[in-house]
This record gives sequence, C-alpha cells and structure tokens, in this order.
Amino acid sequence: MAIVELKNVCRSFRKGEETITPLDDVTLEIHEGDFVSLMGPSGTGKSTLLNLVAGIDRPDSGSITVAGTEITNLSRGQLADWRAANLGYIFQTHNLIPVLTAYENVELPTLLLKQTAAQRRQRVELALKAVGLSDRADHYPRQLSGGQEQRVGIARAIVANPRVVVADEPTGSLDAATSEQIQDLLQRLNRELGMTVLMVTHDREVAGIATRRLILNRGKFLPS
Amino acid sequence: MLLPWEYSVRNLSRRPVRTGLTLMALSIVILLVFVVVGFIRGLERSLRVTGDPDVVLISSINSEANLESSAIPARTPTLIAASIDGTQSRYGVICASPEMYLGTRVTVSDREPAPGLIRAVTTAAPLVRRSVRIEEGHWPDRGEVLVGRLASAKLGMTDEAVAIGQTLTFEGQTWKISGRFTADGAAYESEIWCNLEDFQSATKRQDLSLVALLLKPSASPGEVSLFCKERMDLELRAVRETDFYAELQQHYRPVRLLAWTVVVMVAGAGIFAGLNMMYGAVAGRIREIATLQAIGYRRRAILFSLIQEGVLLSATSSLISGVIALALLNGVAVRFTMGAFTLRIDGPAILIGCGTGLLLGVFGALPPALKALRSSVAVSLKAV
Repeated sequence: MAIVELKNVCRSFRKGEETITPLDDVTLEIHEGDFVSLMGPSGTGKSTLLNLVAGIDRPDSGSITVAGTEITNLSRGQLADWRAANLGYIFQTHNLIPVLTAYENVELPTLLLKQTAAQRRQRVELALKAVGLSDRADHYPRQLSGGQEQRVGIARAIVANPRVVVADEPTGSLDAATSEQIQDLLQRLNRELGMTVLMVTHDREVAGIATRRLILNRGKFLPS
Repeated sequence: MLLPWEYSVRNLSRRPVRTGLTLMALSIVILLVFVVVGFIRGLERSLRVTGDPDVVLISSINSEANLESSAIPARTPTLIAASIDGTQSRYGVICASPEMYLGTRVTVSDREPAPGLIRAVTTAAPLVRRSVRIEEGHWPDRGEVLVGRLASAKLGMTDEAVAIGQTLTFEGQTWKISGRFTADGAAYESEIWCNLEDFQSATKRQDLSLVALLLKPSASPGEVSLFCKERMDLELRAVRETDFYAELQQHYRPVRLLAWTVVVMVAGAGIFAGLNMMYGAVAGRIREIATLQAIGYRRRAILFSLIQEGVLLSATSSLISGVIALALLNGVAVRFTMGAFTLRIDGPAILIGCGTGLLLGVFGALPPALKALRSSVAVSLKAV
C-alpha cells in the first residue's frame, strides 16, 4: 500500500520574467518501508518534491496523499499538526536549535504529542541511543562535531516515530567518513525500524544505499 | 503546543551585548515614563488633597483663581462670623481664618533671592487647615515664620538652608524660622507662614487676600455664597475649597496633556529600541524558525515564544526601572508656579510604568516575529 502518493503534481515558480517548472505532472507512489533516493541535477525539483511531501510547500495542481491524509487542502495549522504526528525531517545542515542541548533538541517534536513526561523521556533516550549519542545528551550543538550534530538531527526526526522520514541531502555537508556513518544509520532505521525514507542526494554512492532509486530531470522521472 | 520556556530565556543570552544594550535602553525609557507619570501623579495629588470639602474660601469677586490679586476688607471675618451660623467653632474659637497670600522674592542667608509663597495667618489658620501639623519647632511669634516641608524646594534651596533658627528676608524685613510644618502633601507645604499683623505692617497693607471658613458638616456653602451676593458692597465671592483646587487642576490640564504626550513619545522611542533588538534577533534565526515549523510547531506557538522573549526583556527593564524609581525618584520635590510637590511613584504609577514596559516588549517583538513567520518555510530552511 502506498504511503506517499503524488498524482499529476505540478509546481512552478516565477523568477523575474521567467517561469520555472521543476515538477511537471509528476505521479509517484512510495510504499511503506521503502527507502527511496531521489537524484538529479541541480534545480530539477528534488527539494521541491521533498518539500511537497513534507507539507511545507503546496503544489499548483495535483494531489498529494501522505500517510493516508490528502495534505494538499490542509490549512497551515493543520499541516503543522499533521507533520508533528506523521513526518520526520532530516536537514542538510542539521538545523539544530543552538540554545537547546542535544536532549532538548530531540525532545522538541515529542512536546507536540500527547505524552507524559516519562513517555517523552523514554522516547528521547531511545532515539539518542539509536544514533549512539546517549553520552552527549547534555551537550549543546556547539559542543558537538558535524557528524554528531547530524546524528542528533536524525534522532530528532525519528523520535516521534513518524510514518515517513524525508532527508534533504543528509550527508551533503559531511566528510567522507562521517557521511558513511550517517548512511549506515539511515539504512538501519529503514531496516530495523521499518521507517519509510525519502532521501534527496547528489551523491550516487549515497543513493546506492536506498532500496529504490529515482532520477528527476526537467520535472519528470527518468528510468534509473 | 508551546515551545519550551527555556528556549525564550536562553535566546536572550545568545547575543549578550545586544541584549544588554536593549535592556539599558528599555530601562531608561521606562524610567522616563516613571518620571513623567510620577510628576503627573504628584501634581494631581497635591491639588486634590489641598481641598477640604468643609472649607469655603471667600475672596475678592474679581480675583478668580488668582488669590494673590484678591483684596477684601479687613473687617470681612467679623462680618461673616456674625452673619453665618454654619461656621464651625473649635475650642471656643470661630473657625474663620483671615489670610494674606503673596508671591514674593525671598532671600535666604546671603543667597540670591528666589520666588517664594507667603501666607500671613492668625492662630485660627490651623483650626481651618486641618491637615497642617507642626513637625518641629513652634507656632511663629512676632518676627518669626513657619516653613512648609517643601518650602526649600520652592525656593530652590536645601532643607538645611531653611532649618529652624535660620533667617529669611522678604518684604524688607528679616524673619527667623521658628518651626516646620507638614500638610499631608497639600499645596501649603511649599509655603512660608507668618503672623498676619506683622506681614500687614511689612507690606503696609490693611486688607486681606481671603478668609477661609470651616463650615459645620450640616451647613451649606450656599449660605456663604448667599451672604456674598447680598453684601454686594463687599464685592466677595465664595467657593468651596475643593472646587477652587478642581478649577486649578483644569488650569494645569495642558501641562498634564503635555506630560502624557511625553509618555507616549518616550514609549514610542522604546518600541523602536525593542524593534531593533527583536529584528536583529529574529533576522539571524530565520532558518531556525522555519525548522521549528517543519518539525510541526504552529506559527502562533513560535510567535508566542518570540513575544515571550521581548516581554522577558521588557519585564526585567520594568523591574530595574521600578526599583530605581522607588529608591531615587519617589518623593523628589519639584517646583511649580503654585508651589512645590513631590514626584509620586505610587501603585498606579508603578502599574502605568510597568504596563508601558510590558507593552514595549509585545509591540517591539510583534512586527519582526510576524515578518519572519510570513516567509515560506521551504525558502527559509535554505536561508544562510
């Protein structure tokens, strides 16, 4: 059963006089437990597609159903609630909140769920353990290395047990060794926790860890 | 669901210099609000408490609100005492106080003369002016004066300059200070009281400025007004003392309006200080704010958190300013034409000062927060 379903999605932007159409009548299905990588040259709509699935952008036409909810017609507030319950977002530059510790950063999404403090604590500890950073819980982002920061970002994305995890070039700003650690971690999350992952990457090697590889060019999917 | 409280608190320490400067700017603004509100409250109180509802002032029909220009016959108190039954009697003395009231140059020791307010009275005065209390010293004998608690402020001198035993010179005569009085903050506190006969002799005048009558609670001021109207030859007018000072308050309405305008202008400057700080704070956090939205935080939760930051800062400033105002401003004497009064940092002044401070926090944070939240999340996530 498809957990992500895009039907005839179009999205265009105006850039001065020019109209750019990164997504032109795109149809896509991603099934529960899939690990999908999305590749393609710059400006071909990879991030746009990711943002549409994440509900932080809206299509000009077409419909998007994620985790059983048609998100195209939800209000901004409803989309925020929907994201809190169903979606984990891994950013390229981790985007941690600098004034919060690793623990508090990971705890942020759980504050949006109806859970007791004990339940929250258990989830945060599990997420930090999953990314191997239990001993760095009290550290602030400035006290962590780039790889550790990204792992905290991943823990934050999975802590609420989302149905879908989207990752926007999660290894884009890391060195080769750290990138490999992150790839392993993403693979484990998919295999061991069964999380559905949609990952945008430029790197063919990183794309190789996915179970399904998609290439986007000029608004259309190419055969991989 | 709201963001954790720690988020707002710790964000303030992210840019300590900027936060410190804003804290200082807001504190100064709120302190200025305290000064102006304390001024208004002090002035209003001084005029409000001066009036006694049982006292009627009889002055010259042409004098209006200016008692200095009033001149009534010296026999007026006797005539009134004989004609009006409603006048109170205390300790066998009829409570009718004949008075001369004059603004004149007063010299203290060898200093430059300064404008002072002289009220020449008899021993009937404290019977009518019931709030007057002699704090130290004694009632003035011939050639002596009693100074009010704020007389030094009116003269622009220190309290030591008008201490008991010091001398003052006015109307060509030297007077020795015999005592010091208070009047619960009433306007008399800025006056110098002397013996009526002495003053009449010094000014070579036989008339009076006014007669203050203390009526029995059952008596009506209308009875006194009727007497003044019937005795047209005396050219008198009677006005209840509370009405007289209410009228004076109206004279100071433009001053109060001006003061409130200053409050609004100063608060406006404070909003700009808050805006500047919050624009700076929010501009560097566009991506962070977008991240919070991507995680699932609603815009109103983020808006609330940003306002919380502004309010935290302004509340701290209000607290600092409130403490300074209470410690250093409350009770400071201010001169004005009618005498002197003290800045009054009372409950309402604290409420207005701190309320203005909190509003600065809200309105300073609102525009930058709204601006940041209006941006597209997808675009802001890529912001540098």
